[in-house]
Amino acid sequence: MSGPDETGRIGAEALAAAVAATRHRAGAFLAGLEHSRQPMLISDPRLPDNPVVFANQAFLTLVGYEAAEVVGKNCRFLQGPETDPGAIAAIREGLRAERVVRVTILNYRRDGSRFWNQLLICPIRDEDGRLVNYFASQVDMSHVHEAEAGRTRLADIERRLAEAQRQLSLTLSSAGIAGTWDWDIQAKRLHVDGRFAALTGLTPAPRPGTVPLAPGPLPASAFFTGIHPLDRMRVRLAVSGILGGAEVFDKEYRLLASDGSVRWVHARGRCHFGADGRPARFTGVLVEVTEQKRVEERLRIAQSAGRVGAFEHVPGFATVAASPQFCSLLGLVSARTVAASAVNALVVEGDPPLLAPDQRQEGELPPIETRVRLADSGEVRWLVRRGEAIRDTETSGLRHVGVIYDVTESKRAEVALRELNDTLEARVREAVAERERAEEQLRQSQKMEAVGQLTGGIAHDFNNLLTGIVGSLDLMQTRINEGRTQNLTRYAGLAMASAQRAAALTHRLLAFSRRQPLEARPVDANRLVSSMDDLMRRTLGERVQLEVVVAGGLWLTLCDPNQLENAILNLAINARDAMPEGGRLTIETANAHLDDAYAARDIGVRAGQYVCVSVTDTGTGMPPDVIARAFDPFFTTKPLGQGTGLGLSMIYGFAKQSEGNVKIYSEAGQGTSVKLYLPRYHGEIEVGTEERGEAPRAERGETVLVVEDDSTVRALVVEVLHELGYRTLEAADGPAGLRLLQSASHIDLLVTDVGLPGLNGRQLADQARLVRPQLKVLFMTGYAENATFGNGHLGVGMQMITKPFPVEGLATKIRSIIEG
Amino acid sequence: MSQDAIGLTELQQDAFTELVNIGVSRAAASLRTMIGTQVLLSVPSVEIVSRKAAARLIGEREAAPLVVVHQDFEGAFAGRALLIFPQENGRELVRAVAGEELSPDEVAALEDEALAETGNIILNGCLATMANMLQRTLTMSLPGIQRGDGPRIFGTEAGDADSLVLFLYIDFSVSERDIRGYLAMLMDLPSLESLRALVDEFIARALGDLDA
Ligand SMILES: Cc1cc2nc3c(=O)[nH]c(=O)nc-3n(C[C@H](O)[C@H](O)[C@H](O)COP(=O)(O)O)c2cc1C
Ligand SMILES: Nc1ncnc2c1ncn2[C@@H]1O[C@H](COP(=O)(O)OP(=O)(O)OP(=O)(O)O)[C@@H](O)[C@H]1O
Ligand SMILES: [Mg+2]
Repeated sequence: MSGPDETGRIGAEALAAAVAATRHRAGAFLAGLEHSRQPMLISDPRLPDNPVVFANQAFLTLVGYEAAEVVGKNCRFLQGPETDPGAIAAIREGLRAERVVRVTILNYRRDGSRFWNQLLICPIRDEDGRLVNYFASQVDMSHVHEAEAGRTRLADIERRLAEAQRQLSLTLSSAGIAGTWDWDIQAKRLHVDGRFAALTGLTPAPRPGTVPLAPGPLPASAFFTGIHPLDRMRVRLAVSGILGGAEVFDKEYRLLASDGSVRWVHARGRCHFGADGRPARFTGVLVEVTEQKRVEERLRIAQSAGRVGAFEHVPGFATVAASPQFCSLLGLVSARTVAASAVNALVVEGDPPLLAPDQRQEGELPPIETRVRLADSGEVRWLVRRGEAIRDTETSGLRHVGVIYDVTESKRAEVALRELNDTLEARVREAVAERERAEEQLRQSQKMEAVGQLTGGIAHDFNNLLTGIVGSLDLMQTRINEGRTQNLTRYAGLAMASAQRAAALTHRLLAFSRRQPLEARPVDANRLVSSMDDLMRRTLGERVQLEVVVAGGLWLTLCDPNQLENAILNLAINARDAMPEGGRLTIETANAHLDDAYAARDIGVRAGQYVCVSVTDTGTGMPPDVIARAFDPFFTTKPLGQGTGLGLSMIYGFAKQSEGNVKIYSEAGQGTSVKLYLPRYHGEIEVGTEERGEAPRAERGETVLVVEDDSTVRALVVEVLHELGYRTLEAADGPAGLRLLQSASHIDLLVTDVGLPGLNGRQLADQARLVRPQLKVLFMTGYAENATFGNGHLGVGMQMITKPFPVEGLATKIRSIIEG
Repeated sequence: MSQDAIGLTELQQDAFTELVNIGVSRAAASLRTMIGTQVLLSVPSVEIVSRKAAARLIGEREAAPLVVVHQDFEGAFAGRALLIFPQENGRELVRAVAGEELSPDEVAALEDEALAETGNIILNGCLATMANMLQRTLTMSLPGIQRGDGPRIFGTEAGDADSLVLFLYIDFSVSERDIRGYLAMLMDLPSLESLRALVDEFIARALGDLDA
């Protein structure tokens, strides 16, 4: 804003002259200018900066200045910070070109208030056409201008409103909320809302985004506007029904738009009756369902293709709205409504009902699988029902909407599969049982085989025992016949001892076949091991050297002695099998303390005092992976039919059962040691007595050397020889016999057992012949030791007698050899 | 709905449906007045079926024994109108009409009378209204009560199985009560024929009226 104090710059005289000149030029009009209600002023462009030289009262009133403050100034003092520079430039340009300027410009009054100035500036020329003055008039256009701005704002608001409305109408139409009608039957007038009018084409389609306007009252026939010709009759009939007194109007029909497009609508209405009972008003809602129709159509196709039946049921209502497919799935005649009870009556008793009116909660209906007996054929089929309980907008009650479909085939498949699985299981069980039977048989047969293996040794023992028994009895008989009845008890005792040992052997055999009940007793392991000596030697064969190392002061242990014996025997057999080329087997007993550290390493082992029996061989040994599995039942590395793989597992079981432990220490190629720990028993052992008969000695005739590891047999043979008048020498094993043979002793005959530990009878004879080439030999053999003799041909001076033999037979044999 | 179109064009069928709608609306209005609670009724669907098929339709839908109110009508067309309920529903209807406080014995005693009365209102209201719409009059006999299963009701046991039945499904669903019913009209062919002619007139009138 320029201040009025600039006046000073213009020369006062020049100004006064200019003012006077202007007044003069206005002449008679001056009074008119001065008193006009129209603000006006005049400037003089010939003075510097084109100052005001005249301003009327209306102008001064408009702008709030005194005349003195205005005259001599350029008019720009009216301008302010928000004055549009463009407008100012327009004025400047107009003035420069000396033409009329029209502009509306924002000006400021003296008090700072603003107004819109509709300004007109007009150049004034003298007779010669020279520019002498500018005339200007100002009109306050604020009211107009403010309105203009308001309009702009309004337009803006309207635009936003329209957008909102468009959104709203989109929302409304997608929500299916649609046109409504109200037909005044008495007055024959139809009132519809904008959407009804727009839908039916009663009014042109509204601009997108705007809300269609409701038309005024229409003639009643307007209700049928836009209805597709093919549906018009139907709708008319239905309407005439309403006019005739029907209450419910519920129709779907097509609308045909002027552009030829077809839309589906669903009209639902109701007749309201007047006080006189006559139809008074017919109101309802028209909803566009084109998209829904399409969806429905697709759904219908999908449902019938997928054999899906649809239903709608309001719990508590007796009927169900059903699709044709629904009826056909139940074997019902196709109908739109069926009785709920009839549907549920088809359900097989005990299965869940298809329609569950007690489901009173919104949300998914629990899917069910149920069997129904078809109404037409009586066939039973599996159906699945799925659905939802929906809040009904009309009644605000719940509506069950759902589908059913047939799953009989998949059910059948399922059942078949299950049956298959069941039978599969049964078949597997059977197969397993069969395998177990087979395994049991195998085990049994292998056990028998093992028994068979043992039979060699055992038969040998048995024959020895029988020989002892038979021989003793024979002698007794002879003596009785001869009337020499003294000493008879001795022979009876010998026979008895042999019989008892035979009994013990039988017992052991039974133990081996595990027919022996478990019986834990205090056991002296040393004695047990020693008593097994014979059996062991037989079992191990001649190639294996047996060493028994018994600890002095060995504690007693508590276990089943038969089982322990069995365990040791099994370990010995394992050891023998690990030494096919022979080796050394050591059976050792010892007292042992298992400490906490040991116990911690082995689950189920308690720290404490134990009796340890270890069986050690110099055989093949075991690699770690075999050790790891050696205790597993059926684990064997032996060829099929030779090992059951049960030996160690039984030993393990026995050890654990006896609250002891068993451990393998082995290295491949180095040998194996199996240590069996049995708990210490604090107590006394019942002492049993065992009697052994002494062989009698008598001297007469030739000298016979008897080598026999079985002392009874040896004693018996010696006795027989005495009876026959021979002198005898005895040896319990090969080496001892050989020592005698290599000595200077006179020996006429060697009577030797074949199966001898260390050096067998044949080897003994052969070595003896080296020093006594004429030595006569009688072999006594029990069990198939004939192999020792190759093809069975014996050398000169050698004979064989098979155990058991009668005394008579032995005497004859001996006599014939000595004499031969 | 295939077997229902015997002799009726789609338009005739629509028209007939509307006629029934009008009749039933009247009947429902009367029922509403009697019972005092909301009676919802579905827009009926109309089928013309053989008696045998009607018996089956009923039999399929209702396992329970049925009770039937029947009334014979005579005039421009003649036949027998049947209002069919499952027996249990019939009792419920009696209770609804005659009062909640009735003991089961009282209901049993009142049953036939009340059913006949109610049935009369429904059937009469329905038929009279229809006749009125067809601009004819009908005379109605007194109502009778019958019990039995589908075949018995439609007289298929007594031969005649192929004669036609105008079968209307109307659900009178009385809210919070398990009440539903079926309406059937037994007519012979000549009667159906004259009914058809009347329906055509009704159509012409209905469409004409609106143009006026
Ligand atoms: C006779 C006359 C009257 C004028 N009246 C006004 C007026 O009322 N308001 C205004 O803003 N400018 C008015 N003007 C314009 C200014 O005086 C000035 O010419 C304009 O601001 C452009 O020049 P500038 O760029 O030197 O300011 C008028 C000019 C003349 C010649
Ligand atoms: N002393 C041993 N030396 C080397 N390997 C052994 C020894 N003892 C056992 N084994 C190994 O452990 C396996 C299992 O032994 P186990 O006594 O349980 O069964 P088996 O001897 O094979 O059969 P069975 O004892 O029924 O005749 C044997 O097959 C063998 O490989
Ligand atoms: Mg073994």
